[in-house]
Amino acid sequence: MIDDRLLIQQLSNPKTQRKAFELVVREYSEKLYWQVRRIVLSHEDADDVLQNAFLKAWQALDTFHGDSKILTWLSRIAINESLDFVRRQKTMLTVSTDDEQAVANMLMADDYFDGDETEAQLQQAIASLPDVQRTVFQLRYYDEMKYSDISRVLGTSEGALKASYHIAVKKISEFFKSHD
Amino acid sequence: MMNEELYVSSRMGHENHFRVPDGYFDNFADRVMSELPERRQPLMVRMRPWMYAAACVVGAISLVAVYFHSPDSAADSNVASVSATETYFDVDEAVDYAMVDNQDIYACLISDF
Repeated sequence: MIDDRLLIQQLSNPKTQRKAFELVVREYSEKLYWQVRRIVLSHEDADDVLQNAFLKAWQALDTFHGDSKILTWLSRIAINESLDFVRRQKTMLTVSTDDEQAVANMLMADDYFDGDETEAQLQQAIASLPDVQRTVFQLRYYDEMKYSDISRVLGTSEGALKASYHIAVKKISEFFKSHD
Repeated sequence: MMNEELYVSSRMGHENHFRVPDGYFDNFADRVMSELPERRQPLMVRMRPWMYAAACVVGAISLVAVYFHSPDSAADSNVASVSATETYFDVDEAVDYAMVDNQDIYACLISDF
């Protein structure tokens, strides 16, 4: 486990910055990848978004003063990049994720998705949630992130996040009941 | 709410059905680092050595200005000691000029009483 405090010191020193940033990328890229992938769904898109997120983090290094954990700071950048990507995609594509079967069909055709039809339908249900609600659900359910950390990532109050998560759980519960 | 959460958890599980190409994470960091540009330090950081030098020059000029414009108490005491010395020498010169010796001075003092 990397010592955050030492890394933060090294990141603020121009002489050790690059090496420290490389350690950051190696340490956190996989965890961040999965946060991004669950939002953007496709591997190729996740790869692009994650690279852009690290590039932005590198350029914004002077704005990071160690007020939060490094992972929390990076998650904020990566999630924002992912949500921006999804919003741009929705305005560009003729078939949006609001289309009932678009996501499920795309996943079933994706070489990097090995779930069955039910799993693809579940991802469709999650993708149909409003973007922030979906993100809250995924960070809480899959990453088991604390509400306090999600609050720092999304810039939303913990109360609003809890409400958002519970609404998402209710909708997904209804999805399963309707498919029983 | 807890029941719904448990229900969803029991139906969804936590299995990840998304996959990545073989070795993807092994070389991801190398790819990212090769694309990172050199960081240009903020202007204020780059100007720091010049600012320190300017501060030293301004500080030195201020010290010199203060030194030459402040009331100089050491000079005053030199003046005072010179004055005292000059007074001392003035009395001797006056005595010499009057050609009065010590016996004359004592006699003068006794006669006053």
